[in-house]
Amino acid sequence: MNPSIPVDSGKTIPIKSRQARKWKENVTAYLFIAPLLSIFAVFILYSLYFLIHTSFQNTDISFGKATDAGTNNYRLVLEDSHFYFSVLNNLIFSAGNIFISITIGFIVTVFLSLKFRGSRFFHALFFIPAMLPGALIATVFSMILEYRFGAWNEFLRALGLDFLAKQWLSDPHLAYMSVIVIGVYLIGFPMMYYSADLTTVNTSVLEAAVLDGAGLNRIMWNIVFPLLKNAHKTIIISTLLSSFREFERIYLMTGGGPAQSTEISSIYLFNYFRGAGANIGYVSAASTLLLIIALAISFIQLRMYVKGKKERKSAA
Amino acid sequence: MNLIRVTRAERFFGISFIVALSLFWIFPVIVTIKNSLQVDGLNNYVYIFTHKIAGLSIFRSFFNSLIVAVGDTTIILVVGTLAAFAFSKMVFIGRQKIYSIILMCLAIPAIVAVIPFFFILKKLHLYNTLGAVIIAEVAMTVPFAVLMMRNFFDNIPDELMESALIDGATKFQTFRRIYLPLSVPALINLGVLCIMWSFQDYLFPTMFLTNGSLTTATMAVNSFQGAFSFNPIDQGRFYASLVVLGMPAFIIFLFAQRYIANGITSGALKD
Repeated sequence: MNPSIPVDSGKTIPIKSRQARKWKENVTAYLFIAPLLSIFAVFILYSLYFLIHTSFQNTDISFGKATDAGTNNYRLVLEDSHFYFSVLNNLIFSAGNIFISITIGFIVTVFLSLKFRGSRFFHALFFIPAMLPGALIATVFSMILEYRFGAWNEFLRALGLDFLAKQWLSDPHLAYMSVIVIGVYLIGFPMMYYSADLTTVNTSVLEAAVLDGAGLNRIMWNIVFPLLKNAHKTIIISTLLSSFREFERIYLMTGGGPAQSTEISSIYLFNYFRGAGANIGYVSAASTLLLIIALAISFIQLRMYVKGKKERKSAA
Repeated sequence: MNLIRVTRAERFFGISFIVALSLFWIFPVIVTIKNSLQVDGLNNYVYIFTHKIAGLSIFRSFFNSLIVAVGDTTIILVVGTLAAFAFSKMVFIGRQKIYSIILMCLAIPAIVAVIPFFFILKKLHLYNTLGAVIIAEVAMTVPFAVLMMRNFFDNIPDELMESALIDGATKFQTFRRIYLPLSVPALINLGVLCIMWSFQDYLFPTMFLTNGSLTTATMAVNSFQGAFSFNPIDQGRFYASLVVLGMPAFIIFLFAQRYIANGITSGALKD
Protein backbone atom coordinates (compact mmCIF):
# COMPACT_ATOMS: atom_id res chain seq x y z
CA MET A 1 0.00 0.00 0.00
CA ASN A 2 1.34 3.41 -0.89
CA PRO A 3 2.10 5.18 2.42
CA SER A 4 1.67 8.71 1.09
CA ILE A 5 -1.84 8.58 -0.30
CA PRO A 6 -3.27 12.04 0.44
CA VAL A 7 -6.47 11.89 2.45
CA ASP A 8 -9.21 14.50 1.99
CA SER A 9 -7.43 17.14 4.02
CA GLY A 10 -4.28 16.63 1.98
CA LYS A 11 -2.28 15.19 4.91
CA THR A 12 -0.42 11.92 4.51
CA ILE A 13 -1.45 8.95 6.62
CA PRO A 14 0.67 8.64 9.76
CA ILE A 15 2.45 5.36 10.50
CA LYS A 16 0.22 4.47 13.41
CA SER A 17 -2.96 4.52 11.36
CA ARG A 18 -1.20 2.54 8.64
CA GLN A 19 -0.73 -0.25 11.15
CA ALA A 20 -4.32 0.14 12.19
CA ARG A 21 -5.34 -0.23 8.57
CA LYS A 22 -3.24 -3.34 8.15
CA TRP A 23 -4.95 -4.76 11.21
CA LYS A 24 -8.31 -3.79 9.79
CA GLU A 25 -7.53 -5.43 6.45
CA ASN A 26 -6.70 -8.66 8.28
CA VAL A 27 -9.99 -8.56 10.15
CA THR A 28 -11.97 -7.84 6.98
CA ALA A 29 -10.22 -10.63 5.09
CA TYR A 30 -10.97 -13.11 7.85
CA LEU A 31 -14.61 -12.04 7.75
CA PHE A 32 -14.63 -12.91 4.05
CA ILE A 33 -13.21 -16.36 4.65
CA ALA A 34 -15.12 -16.97 7.89
CA PRO A 35 -17.95 -19.00 6.29
CA LEU A 36 -15.40 -21.18 4.51
CA LEU A 37 -13.37 -21.64 7.67
CA SER A 38 -16.40 -22.61 9.71
CA ILE A 39 -17.41 -25.30 7.21
CA PHE A 40 -13.79 -26.39 7.13
CA ALA A 41 -13.55 -26.55 10.91
CA VAL A 42 -16.78 -28.45 11.46
CA PHE A 43 -16.57 -30.86 8.56
CA ILE A 44 -12.92 -31.30 7.68
CA LEU A 45 -10.88 -30.60 10.81
CA TYR A 46 -13.35 -32.27 13.12
CA SER A 47 -13.66 -35.23 10.71
CA LEU A 48 -9.91 -35.63 10.77
CA TYR A 49 -9.85 -35.55 14.54
CA PHE A 50 -12.77 -37.97 14.66
CA LEU A 51 -11.19 -40.44 12.23
CA ILE A 52 -7.85 -40.46 14.00
CA HIS A 53 -9.47 -40.65 17.43
CA THR A 54 -11.79 -43.51 16.41
CA SER A 55 -9.02 -45.38 14.65
CA PHE A 56 -7.42 -46.10 18.04
CA GLN A 57 -10.66 -47.55 19.42
CA ASN A 58 -12.88 -50.56 18.99
CA THR A 59 -16.44 -49.36 18.51
CA ASP A 60 -19.53 -49.93 16.43
CA ILE A 61 -21.65 -47.49 14.42
CA SER A 62 -23.67 -46.40 17.46
CA PHE A 63 -20.35 -45.16 18.93
CA GLY A 64 -21.60 -46.48 22.26
CA LYS A 65 -19.14 -48.71 24.08
CA ALA A 66 -15.76 -47.72 22.76
CA THR A 67 -12.76 -49.55 24.11
CA ASP A 68 -9.14 -48.58 23.63
CA ALA A 69 -7.52 -50.50 20.82
CA GLY A 70 -4.08 -48.95 20.75
CA THR A 71 -2.52 -49.34 17.34
CA ASN A 72 -4.21 -52.68 16.87
CA ASN A 73 -6.57 -51.45 14.12
CA TYR A 74 -3.68 -50.11 12.07
CA ARG A 75 -1.82 -53.37 12.49
CA LEU A 76 -4.88 -55.28 11.27
CA VAL A 77 -5.33 -53.03 8.23
CA LEU A 78 -1.67 -53.29 7.30
CA GLU A 79 -1.83 -57.06 7.65
CA ASP A 80 -4.89 -57.33 5.40
CA SER A 81 -3.74 -58.11 1.87
CA HIS A 82 -7.13 -56.96 0.54
CA PHE A 83 -6.37 -53.42 1.67
CA TYR A 84 -3.18 -53.27 -0.42
CA PHE A 85 -4.98 -54.98 -3.23
CA SER A 86 -7.76 -52.38 -3.22
CA VAL A 87 -5.29 -49.49 -3.32
CA LEU A 88 -3.40 -51.24 -6.11
CA ASN A 89 -6.69 -51.69 -7.96
CA ASN A 90 -7.27 -47.96 -7.62
CA LEU A 91 -3.95 -47.25 -9.24
CA ILE A 92 -4.51 -49.81 -12.01
CA PHE A 93 -7.99 -48.51 -12.72
CA SER A 94 -6.78 -44.94 -12.87
CA ALA A 95 -3.90 -46.03 -15.12
CA GLY A 96 -6.52 -47.60 -17.38
CA ASN A 97 -8.60 -44.44 -17.33
CA ILE A 98 -5.58 -42.26 -18.02
CA PHE A 99 -4.52 -44.46 -20.92
CA ILE A 100 -8.02 -44.30 -22.43
CA SER A 101 -8.16 -40.52 -21.95
CA ILE A 102 -4.85 -39.70 -23.57
CA THR A 103 -5.31 -42.08 -26.48
CA ILE A 104 -8.99 -42.28 -27.39
CA GLY A 105 -9.90 -38.97 -25.77
CA PHE A 106 -7.09 -37.26 -27.64
CA ILE A 107 -7.79 -38.92 -31.01
CA VAL A 108 -11.50 -38.17 -30.81
CA THR A 109 -10.82 -34.52 -29.96
CA VAL A 110 -8.43 -34.06 -32.89
CA PHE A 111 -10.71 -35.84 -35.37
CA LEU A 112 -13.73 -33.88 -34.20
CA SER A 113 -11.74 -30.66 -34.69
CA LEU A 114 -11.71 -31.49 -38.42
CA LYS A 115 -15.28 -30.13 -38.35
CA PHE A 116 -17.38 -32.21 -40.68
CA ARG A 117 -21.10 -32.47 -41.14
CA GLY A 118 -22.52 -33.97 -37.98
CA SER A 119 -19.38 -33.41 -35.91
CA ARG A 120 -21.42 -31.50 -33.34
CA PHE A 121 -23.76 -34.45 -32.98
CA PHE A 122 -20.83 -36.79 -32.39
CA HIS A 123 -19.32 -34.37 -29.93
CA ALA A 124 -22.56 -34.41 -27.95
CA LEU A 125 -22.76 -38.19 -28.16
CA PHE A 126 -19.24 -38.69 -26.79
CA PHE A 127 -19.65 -36.01 -24.18
CA ILE A 128 -23.05 -36.67 -22.60
CA PRO A 129 -22.14 -39.83 -20.63
CA ALA A 130 -19.71 -37.73 -18.57
CA MET A 131 -22.68 -35.69 -17.42
CA LEU A 132 -24.95 -38.59 -16.58
CA PRO A 133 -24.94 -39.89 -13.03
CA GLY A 134 -22.36 -42.65 -12.75
CA ALA A 135 -25.02 -44.74 -11.02
CA LEU A 136 -27.17 -44.65 -14.15
CA ILE A 137 -24.34 -45.70 -16.49
CA ALA A 138 -23.27 -48.48 -14.15
CA THR A 139 -26.82 -49.80 -13.83
CA VAL A 140 -27.38 -49.80 -17.59
CA PHE A 141 -24.11 -51.61 -18.23
CA SER A 142 -24.64 -54.10 -15.45
CA MET A 143 -27.76 -55.15 -17.35
CA ILE A 144 -26.25 -54.94 -20.82
CA LEU A 145 -23.25 -57.07 -19.83
CA GLU A 146 -25.31 -59.70 -18.01
CA TYR A 147 -24.37 -63.15 -19.26
CA ARG A 148 -27.61 -64.81 -20.31
CA PHE A 149 -30.03 -62.04 -21.21
CA GLY A 150 -27.69 -59.08 -21.48
CA ALA A 151 -28.01 -57.14 -24.73
CA TRP A 152 -24.31 -57.31 -25.55
CA ASN A 153 -24.17 -61.10 -25.51
CA GLU A 154 -27.49 -61.32 -27.36
CA PHE A 155 -26.01 -59.02 -29.99
CA LEU A 156 -22.89 -61.19 -30.30
CA ARG A 157 -24.99 -64.36 -30.54
CA ALA A 158 -27.17 -62.77 -33.20
CA LEU A 159 -24.00 -62.14 -35.22
CA GLY A 160 -23.10 -65.81 -34.79
CA LEU A 161 -20.18 -64.92 -32.52
CA ASP A 162 -21.35 -67.16 -29.67
CA PHE A 163 -17.79 -67.92 -28.60
CA LEU A 164 -17.32 -64.21 -27.78
CA ALA A 165 -20.32 -64.08 -25.47
CA LYS A 166 -18.60 -64.18 -22.11
CA GLN A 167 -19.42 -63.69 -18.44
CA TRP A 168 -18.29 -60.09 -18.61
CA LEU A 169 -18.99 -59.19 -15.01
CA SER A 170 -18.89 -62.52 -13.21
CA ASP A 171 -15.61 -63.97 -14.47
CA PRO A 172 -12.92 -62.44 -12.21
CA HIS A 173 -10.46 -61.76 -15.06
CA LEU A 174 -13.02 -60.32 -17.43
CA ALA A 175 -14.82 -58.28 -14.77
CA TYR A 176 -11.57 -56.46 -14.11
CA MET A 177 -11.23 -55.58 -17.76
CA SER A 178 -14.91 -54.75 -18.22
CA VAL A 179 -15.03 -52.12 -15.50
CA ILE A 180 -11.88 -50.50 -16.89
CA VAL A 181 -13.17 -50.47 -20.46
CA ILE A 182 -16.43 -48.84 -19.37
CA GLY A 183 -14.17 -45.88 -18.54
CA VAL A 184 -14.21 -45.23 -22.31
CA TYR A 185 -17.64 -43.72 -21.88
CA LEU A 186 -16.22 -41.03 -19.64
CA ILE A 187 -13.90 -39.39 -22.17
CA GLY A 188 -16.06 -36.25 -22.04
CA PHE A 189 -13.88 -34.41 -19.55
CA PRO A 190 -10.54 -35.22 -21.20
CA MET A 191 -12.09 -34.10 -24.49
CA MET A 192 -12.99 -30.82 -22.85
CA TYR A 193 -9.46 -30.19 -21.60
CA TYR A 194 -7.97 -31.17 -24.94
CA SER A 195 -10.25 -28.99 -27.02
CA ALA A 196 -9.65 -26.02 -24.71
CA ASP A 197 -5.91 -26.55 -24.99
CA LEU A 198 -6.12 -27.16 -28.74
CA THR A 199 -7.40 -23.62 -29.31
CA THR A 200 -4.17 -22.26 -27.82
CA VAL A 201 -1.98 -24.12 -30.32
CA ASN A 202 -0.16 -21.77 -32.65
CA THR A 203 -1.57 -22.43 -36.13
CA SER A 204 1.61 -21.29 -37.88
CA VAL A 205 3.43 -24.27 -36.38
CA LEU A 206 0.86 -26.58 -37.93
CA GLU A 207 0.95 -24.77 -41.26
CA ALA A 208 4.70 -25.07 -41.38
CA ALA A 209 4.38 -28.80 -40.71
CA VAL A 210 1.87 -29.17 -43.54
CA LEU A 211 4.20 -27.29 -45.90
CA ASP A 212 7.00 -29.62 -44.88
CA GLY A 213 4.79 -32.49 -46.01
CA ALA A 214 3.78 -33.95 -42.64
CA GLY A 215 0.61 -36.05 -42.77
CA LEU A 216 -2.22 -36.08 -40.25
CA ASN A 217 -0.64 -38.95 -38.35
CA ARG A 218 2.71 -37.18 -37.92
CA ILE A 219 1.07 -33.84 -37.09
CA MET A 220 -1.15 -35.45 -34.52
CA TRP A 221 1.40 -37.47 -32.61
CA ASN A 222 4.64 -35.56 -33.20
CA ILE A 223 3.39 -31.98 -33.05
CA VAL A 224 -0.04 -31.61 -31.49
CA PHE A 225 0.35 -34.31 -28.84
CA PRO A 226 3.48 -32.81 -27.23
CA LEU A 227 2.01 -29.30 -27.49
CA LEU A 228 -0.96 -30.30 -25.32
CA LYS A 229 1.36 -30.97 -22.38
CA ASN A 230 -0.80 -28.92 -19.99
CA ALA A 231 -3.94 -30.83 -20.81
CA HIS A 232 -2.13 -34.16 -20.37
CA LYS A 233 -0.88 -33.11 -16.95
CA THR A 234 -4.29 -31.90 -15.81
CA ILE A 235 -5.97 -35.07 -17.05
CA ILE A 236 -3.46 -37.39 -15.44
CA ILE A 237 -3.60 -35.71 -12.03
CA SER A 238 -7.35 -35.25 -11.95
CA THR A 239 -7.98 -38.83 -13.09
CA LEU A 240 -5.62 -40.15 -10.46
CA LEU A 241 -7.32 -38.19 -7.70
CA SER A 242 -10.84 -38.91 -8.91
CA SER A 243 -10.12 -42.64 -8.90
CA PHE A 244 -10.00 -42.40 -5.09
CA ARG A 245 -13.39 -40.73 -5.25
CA GLU A 246 -14.83 -43.32 -7.61
CA PHE A 247 -17.47 -45.52 -6.09
CA GLU A 248 -20.73 -46.19 -7.88
CA ARG A 249 -19.31 -47.32 -11.22
CA ILE A 250 -17.86 -50.39 -9.58
CA TYR A 251 -20.32 -50.73 -6.71
CA LEU A 252 -23.30 -51.00 -9.05
CA MET A 253 -21.58 -53.09 -11.71
CA THR A 254 -19.79 -55.73 -9.67
CA GLY A 255 -20.05 -54.68 -6.03
CA GLY A 256 -16.28 -55.21 -5.90
CA GLY A 257 -16.64 -58.84 -6.87
CA PRO A 258 -16.35 -61.47 -8.16
CA ALA A 259 -14.05 -62.67 -5.39
CA GLN A 260 -13.09 -59.08 -4.57
CA SER A 261 -11.24 -58.83 -7.88
CA THR A 262 -12.62 -55.39 -8.77
CA GLU A 263 -12.53 -54.02 -5.26
CA ILE A 264 -11.14 -50.48 -5.19
CA SER A 265 -10.43 -48.77 -1.89
CA SER A 266 -13.80 -47.04 -1.65
CA ILE A 267 -15.60 -50.37 -2.10
CA TYR A 268 -13.26 -52.01 0.39
CA LEU A 269 -14.22 -49.44 3.01
CA PHE A 270 -17.90 -49.50 2.10
CA ASN A 271 -18.25 -53.27 2.19
CA TYR A 272 -16.49 -53.46 5.52
CA PHE A 273 -18.57 -50.61 6.91
CA ARG A 274 -21.81 -52.21 5.74
CA GLY A 275 -20.93 -55.57 7.26
CA ALA A 276 -22.93 -56.47 10.36
CA GLY A 277 -21.35 -55.31 13.61
CA ALA A 278 -18.41 -53.82 11.76
CA ASN A 279 -15.64 -52.41 13.88
CA ILE A 280 -15.76 -48.70 13.02
CA GLY A 281 -12.33 -48.32 14.56
CA TYR A 282 -10.94 -50.59 11.88
CA VAL A 283 -12.75 -48.69 9.10
CA SER A 284 -11.44 -45.42 10.54
CA ALA A 285 -7.87 -46.72 10.55
CA ALA A 286 -8.20 -47.85 6.93
CA SER A 287 -9.81 -44.49 6.04
CA THR A 288 -6.96 -42.60 7.67
CA LEU A 289 -4.38 -44.54 5.69
CA LEU A 290 -6.30 -44.00 2.47
CA LEU A 291 -6.58 -40.31 3.21
CA ILE A 292 -2.82 -40.08 3.72
CA ILE A 293 -2.25 -41.69 0.30
CA ALA A 294 -4.70 -39.33 -1.44
CA LEU A 295 -3.26 -36.27 0.31
CA ALA A 296 0.27 -37.31 -0.62
CA ILE A 297 -0.72 -37.38 -4.31
CA SER A 298 -2.44 -34.02 -3.92
CA PHE A 299 0.63 -32.58 -2.19
CA ILE A 300 2.86 -33.59 -5.11
CA GLN A 301 0.36 -32.00 -7.48
CA LEU A 302 0.34 -28.78 -5.48
CA ARG A 303 4.14 -28.63 -5.52
CA MET A 304 4.10 -29.06 -9.29
CA TYR A 305 1.54 -26.30 -9.56
CA VAL A 306 3.43 -23.83 -7.39
CA LYS A 307 6.71 -24.65 -9.16
CA GLY A 308 5.07 -24.21 -12.55
CA LYS A 309 3.68 -20.86 -11.50
CA LYS A 310 7.10 -19.65 -10.39
CA GLU A 311 8.72 -20.76 -13.63
CA ARG A 312 6.08 -18.98 -15.61
CA LYS A 313 6.60 -15.81 -13.61
CA SER A 314 10.37 -15.84 -14.06
CA ALA A 315 9.93 -16.49 -17.78
CA ALA A 316 7.61 -13.52 -18.15
CA MET B 1 -11.50 -22.44 -39.85
CA ASN B 2 -10.00 -25.84 -39.41
CA LEU B 3 -7.03 -26.05 -37.16
CA ILE B 4 -5.34 -28.90 -38.96
CA ARG B 5 -5.28 -29.09 -42.74
CA VAL B 6 -5.58 -32.62 -44.02
CA THR B 7 -5.88 -34.44 -47.32
CA ARG B 8 -9.20 -35.90 -48.37
CA ALA B 9 -8.07 -39.43 -47.60
CA GLU B 10 -7.02 -38.45 -44.09
CA ARG B 11 -10.27 -36.62 -43.57
CA PHE B 12 -12.19 -39.66 -44.70
CA PHE B 13 -10.19 -41.82 -42.30
CA GLY B 14 -10.85 -39.47 -39.40
CA ILE B 15 -14.58 -39.35 -40.01
CA SER B 16 -14.79 -43.12 -40.42
CA PHE B 17 -13.00 -43.60 -37.14
CA ILE B 18 -15.44 -41.30 -35.35
CA VAL B 19 -18.47 -42.96 -36.91
CA ALA B 20 -17.21 -46.46 -36.12
CA LEU B 21 -16.38 -45.55 -32.52
CA SER B 22 -19.73 -43.85 -32.07
CA LEU B 23 -21.47 -47.19 -32.60
CA PHE B 24 -20.27 -48.19 -29.14
CA TRP B 25 -21.99 -45.11 -27.75
CA ILE B 26 -25.16 -45.60 -29.73
CA PHE B 27 -25.46 -49.27 -28.76
CA PRO B 28 -26.36 -48.76 -25.07
CA VAL B 29 -28.69 -45.89 -25.99
CA ILE B 30 -30.59 -48.03 -28.47
CA VAL B 31 -30.71 -50.98 -26.08
CA THR B 32 -32.08 -48.83 -23.27
CA ILE B 33 -34.71 -47.12 -25.39
CA LYS B 34 -35.73 -50.33 -27.12
CA ASN B 35 -36.11 -52.16 -23.80
CA SER B 36 -38.00 -49.24 -22.33
CA LEU B 37 -40.67 -49.79 -25.00
CA GLN B 38 -40.93 -53.56 -24.61
CA VAL B 39 -44.35 -55.18 -24.11
CA ASP B 40 -46.33 -52.04 -23.43
CA GLY B 41 -44.71 -49.42 -25.65
CA LEU B 42 -45.06 -45.83 -24.54
CA ASN B 43 -47.45 -46.94 -21.81
CA ASN B 44 -44.34 -47.84 -19.80
CA TYR B 45 -43.58 -44.14 -19.63
CA VAL B 46 -47.15 -43.30 -18.73
CA TYR B 47 -46.94 -45.89 -15.96
CA ILE B 48 -43.82 -44.51 -14.29
CA PHE B 49 -45.24 -40.99 -14.31
CA THR B 50 -48.60 -42.01 -12.90
CA HIS B 51 -47.61 -44.65 -10.34
CA LYS B 52 -45.55 -44.60 -7.21
CA ILE B 53 -42.49 -46.81 -7.50
CA ALA B 54 -40.98 -48.15 -4.28
CA GLY B 55 -43.45 -45.86 -2.52
CA LEU B 56 -42.24 -42.78 -4.34
CA SER B 57 -43.38 -40.82 -7.36
CA ILE B 58 -40.66 -40.04 -9.88
CA PHE B 59 -41.55 -36.34 -9.64
CA ARG B 60 -40.84 -36.42 -5.94
CA SER B 61 -37.36 -37.85 -6.54
CA PHE B 62 -36.63 -35.09 -9.09
CA PHE B 63 -37.94 -32.54 -6.66
CA ASN B 64 -35.68 -33.87 -3.90
CA SER B 65 -32.70 -33.74 -6.24
CA LEU B 66 -33.61 -30.21 -7.23
CA ILE B 67 -33.75 -29.04 -3.63
CA VAL B 68 -30.39 -30.61 -2.90
CA ALA B 69 -28.84 -29.15 -6.06
CA VAL B 70 -30.18 -25.65 -5.47
CA GLY B 71 -29.27 -25.61 -1.79
CA ASP B 72 -25.81 -27.00 -2.43
CA THR B 73 -25.11 -24.60 -5.31
CA THR B 74 -26.32 -21.50 -3.48
CA ILE B 75 -24.17 -22.14 -0.43
CA ILE B 76 -21.12 -23.01 -2.52
CA LEU B 77 -21.46 -19.87 -4.64
CA VAL B 78 -21.75 -17.58 -1.61
CA VAL B 79 -19.08 -19.19 0.56
CA GLY B 80 -16.68 -19.93 -2.28
CA THR B 81 -16.86 -16.50 -3.89
CA LEU B 82 -16.39 -14.59 -0.64
CA ALA B 83 -13.35 -16.66 0.28
CA ALA B 84 -11.88 -16.58 -3.23
CA PHE B 85 -12.12 -12.79 -3.25
CA ALA B 86 -10.17 -12.56 -0.01
CA PHE B 87 -7.51 -15.02 -1.23
CA SER B 88 -7.12 -13.12 -4.48
CA LYS B 89 -7.41 -9.45 -3.54
CA MET B 90 -6.58 -9.04 0.13
CA VAL B 91 -3.40 -9.35 2.12
CA PHE B 92 -3.71 -11.16 5.42
CA ILE B 93 -1.74 -13.37 7.75
CA GLY B 94 -1.73 -17.02 6.70
CA ARG B 95 -3.24 -16.38 3.29
CA GLN B 96 -1.05 -18.75 1.29
CA LYS B 97 -1.03 -21.44 3.99
CA ILE B 98 -4.81 -21.51 4.38
CA TYR B 99 -5.27 -21.50 0.61
CA SER B 100 -2.93 -24.47 0.18
CA ILE B 101 -4.72 -26.42 2.90
CA ILE B 102 -8.09 -25.73 1.27
CA LEU B 103 -6.71 -26.94 -2.08
CA MET B 104 -5.47 -30.14 -0.47
CA CYS B 105 -9.06 -30.85 0.53
CA LEU B 106 -9.84 -31.41 -3.16
CA ALA B 107 -8.15 -34.77 -2.76
CA ILE B 108 -10.26 -36.07 0.12
CA PRO B 109 -12.08 -39.20 -1.08
CA ALA B 110 -15.79 -38.92 -0.31
CA ILE B 111 -15.88 -42.43 1.15
CA VAL B 112 -13.39 -41.41 3.83
CA ALA B 113 -15.73 -38.61 4.89
CA VAL B 114 -18.77 -40.87 5.24
CA ILE B 115 -18.19 -42.11 8.80
CA PRO B 116 -17.19 -38.79 10.40
CA PHE B 117 -19.94 -36.96 8.48
CA PHE B 118 -22.43 -39.56 9.65
CA PHE B 119 -21.45 -38.81 13.23
CA ILE B 120 -21.41 -35.02 12.78
CA LEU B 121 -24.74 -34.92 10.95
CA LYS B 122 -26.37 -37.00 13.67
CA LYS B 123 -25.05 -34.58 16.27
CA LEU B 124 -26.41 -31.64 14.25
CA HIS B 125 -29.79 -33.44 13.94
CA LEU B 126 -29.48 -33.24 10.16
CA TYR B 127 -29.20 -36.97 9.54
CA ASN B 128 -32.02 -38.19 7.30
CA THR B 129 -32.85 -34.72 6.00
CA LEU B 130 -32.00 -33.25 2.60
CA GLY B 131 -29.93 -30.72 4.54
CA ALA B 132 -27.47 -33.49 5.41
CA VAL B 133 -26.77 -34.20 1.75
CA ILE B 134 -26.56 -30.49 0.96
CA ILE B 135 -24.02 -29.68 3.63
CA ALA B 136 -21.95 -32.82 2.95
CA GLU B 137 -21.77 -31.96 -0.76
CA VAL B 138 -20.88 -28.36 0.08
CA ALA B 139 -18.00 -29.51 2.27
CA MET B 140 -16.60 -31.67 -0.53
CA THR B 141 -17.14 -29.22 -3.41
CA VAL B 142 -16.38 -25.81 -1.92
CA PRO B 143 -12.58 -26.18 -2.32
CA PHE B 144 -13.07 -26.41 -6.08
CA ALA B 145 -15.21 -23.27 -5.99
CA VAL B 146 -12.49 -21.41 -4.12
CA LEU B 147 -9.86 -22.58 -6.60
CA MET B 148 -11.91 -21.67 -9.64
CA MET B 149 -13.11 -18.28 -8.41
CA ARG B 150 -9.65 -17.34 -7.18
CA ASN B 151 -8.22 -18.07 -10.62
CA PHE B 152 -10.96 -15.85 -12.00
CA PHE B 153 -10.38 -12.94 -9.59
CA ASP B 154 -6.63 -13.17 -10.16
CA ASN B 155 -7.30 -12.22 -13.77
CA ILE B 156 -9.22 -9.06 -12.85
CA PRO B 157 -6.79 -6.18 -12.36
CA ASP B 158 -6.12 -5.00 -8.78
CA GLU B 159 -6.34 -1.39 -9.95
CA LEU B 160 -10.14 -1.57 -9.79
CA MET B 161 -9.83 -2.32 -6.09
CA GLU B 162 -7.34 0.46 -5.44
CA SER B 163 -9.32 3.13 -7.21
CA ALA B 164 -12.50 2.11 -5.41
CA LEU B 165 -10.71 2.27 -2.07
CA ILE B 166 -9.38 5.74 -2.84
CA ASP B 167 -12.93 6.78 -3.61
CA GLY B 168 -13.78 5.74 -0.07
CA ALA B 169 -15.48 2.41 -0.70
CA THR B 170 -15.09 -0.34 1.87
CA LYS B 171 -13.69 -3.75 0.89
CA PHE B 172 -17.13 -5.28 0.97
CA GLN B 173 -18.63 -2.51 -1.15
CA THR B 174 -15.83 -3.00 -3.68
CA PHE B 175 -16.58 -6.70 -3.76
CA ARG B 176 -20.32 -6.22 -3.95
CA ARG B 177 -20.46 -3.37 -6.49
CA ILE B 178 -17.43 -3.99 -8.69
CA TYR B 179 -16.07 -7.51 -8.56
CA LEU B 180 -19.31 -9.43 -8.08
CA PRO B 181 -21.02 -8.01 -11.20
CA LEU B 182 -17.86 -8.73 -13.20
CA SER B 183 -17.79 -12.33 -12.02
CA VAL B 184 -21.30 -13.26 -13.13
CA PRO B 185 -20.07 -15.36 -16.10
CA ALA B 186 -17.73 -17.32 -13.83
CA LEU B 187 -20.50 -17.77 -11.28
CA ILE B 188 -22.75 -19.23 -13.95
CA ASN B 189 -20.02 -21.67 -15.00
CA LEU B 190 -19.48 -22.69 -11.40
CA GLY B 191 -23.19 -22.93 -10.66
CA VAL B 192 -23.84 -25.24 -13.60
CA LEU B 193 -20.98 -27.49 -12.54
CA CYS B 194 -22.26 -27.67 -8.97
CA ILE B 195 -25.75 -28.57 -10.14
CA MET B 196 -24.35 -31.29 -12.38
CA TRP B 197 -22.15 -32.76 -9.65
CA SER B 198 -24.99 -32.67 -7.20
CA PHE B 199 -27.23 -34.58 -9.62
CA GLN B 200 -24.48 -37.15 -10.08
CA ASP B 201 -23.87 -37.70 -6.39
CA TYR B 202 -24.82 -41.17 -5.27
CA LEU B 203 -22.80 -41.91 -2.15
CA PHE B 204 -23.96 -39.15 0.20
CA PRO B 205 -27.72 -39.50 -0.47
CA THR B 206 -27.39 -43.27 -0.11
CA MET B 207 -25.56 -42.98 3.19
CA PHE B 208 -27.42 -40.08 4.81
CA LEU B 209 -31.02 -40.63 3.67
CA THR B 210 -32.87 -43.73 4.82
CA ASN B 211 -36.35 -42.24 4.61
CA GLY B 212 -37.84 -43.41 1.29
CA SER B 213 -39.69 -40.17 0.65
CA LEU B 214 -36.35 -38.32 0.53
CA THR B 215 -34.90 -40.48 -2.27
CA THR B 216 -33.07 -38.40 -4.88
CA ALA B 217 -33.21 -39.10 -8.62
CA THR B 218 -29.77 -40.72 -8.63
CA MET B 219 -30.64 -42.98 -5.69
CA ALA B 220 -33.87 -43.85 -7.48
CA VAL B 221 -31.89 -45.61 -10.20
CA ASN B 222 -31.01 -48.19 -7.61
CA SER B 223 -34.16 -48.25 -5.48
CA PHE B 224 -36.36 -48.63 -8.56
CA GLN B 225 -34.31 -51.62 -9.64
CA GLY B 226 -35.26 -53.37 -6.43
CA ALA B 227 -38.91 -52.39 -6.81
CA PHE B 228 -39.41 -53.97 -10.23
CA SER B 229 -39.53 -57.72 -10.73
CA PHE B 230 -37.89 -59.61 -13.58
CA ASN B 231 -40.98 -60.05 -15.71
CA PRO B 232 -40.78 -58.31 -19.10
CA ILE B 233 -43.42 -55.66 -18.33
CA ASP B 234 -41.66 -54.56 -15.17
CA GLN B 235 -38.29 -54.59 -16.89
CA GLY B 236 -39.71 -52.40 -19.64
CA ARG B 237 -40.94 -49.98 -17.02
CA PHE B 238 -37.60 -50.03 -15.26
CA TYR B 239 -35.77 -49.15 -18.47
CA ALA B 240 -38.29 -46.38 -19.08
CA SER B 241 -37.56 -44.99 -15.64
CA LEU B 242 -33.82 -45.06 -16.42
CA VAL B 243 -34.42 -43.03 -19.58
CA VAL B 244 -36.44 -40.49 -17.60
CA LEU B 245 -33.89 -40.33 -14.77
CA GLY B 246 -31.19 -39.58 -17.35
CA MET B 247 -33.13 -36.65 -18.81
CA PRO B 248 -31.80 -33.91 -16.46
CA ALA B 249 -28.29 -34.57 -17.74
CA PHE B 250 -29.47 -34.09 -21.33
CA ILE B 251 -31.29 -30.93 -20.42
CA ILE B 252 -28.25 -29.52 -18.62
CA PHE B 253 -26.13 -30.49 -21.61
CA LEU B 254 -28.43 -28.79 -24.11
CA PHE B 255 -28.60 -25.54 -22.20
CA ALA B 256 -25.32 -25.36 -20.39
CA GLN B 257 -22.63 -27.34 -22.20
CA ARG B 258 -20.60 -24.19 -22.79
CA TYR B 259 -20.63 -23.25 -19.11
CA ILE B 260 -19.41 -26.65 -18.04
CA ALA B 261 -16.51 -26.55 -20.46
CA ASN B 262 -15.57 -23.04 -19.33
CA GLY B 263 -15.90 -23.89 -15.67
CA ILE B 264 -13.89 -27.08 -15.71
CA THR B 265 -11.05 -25.71 -17.78
CA SER B 266 -10.75 -22.46 -15.83
CA GLY B 267 -10.60 -24.35 -12.55
CA ALA B 268 -7.92 -26.69 -13.81
CA LEU B 269 -4.54 -26.62 -12.17
CA LYS B 270 -2.58 -25.57 -15.20
CA ASP B 271 1.10 -24.91 -14.87
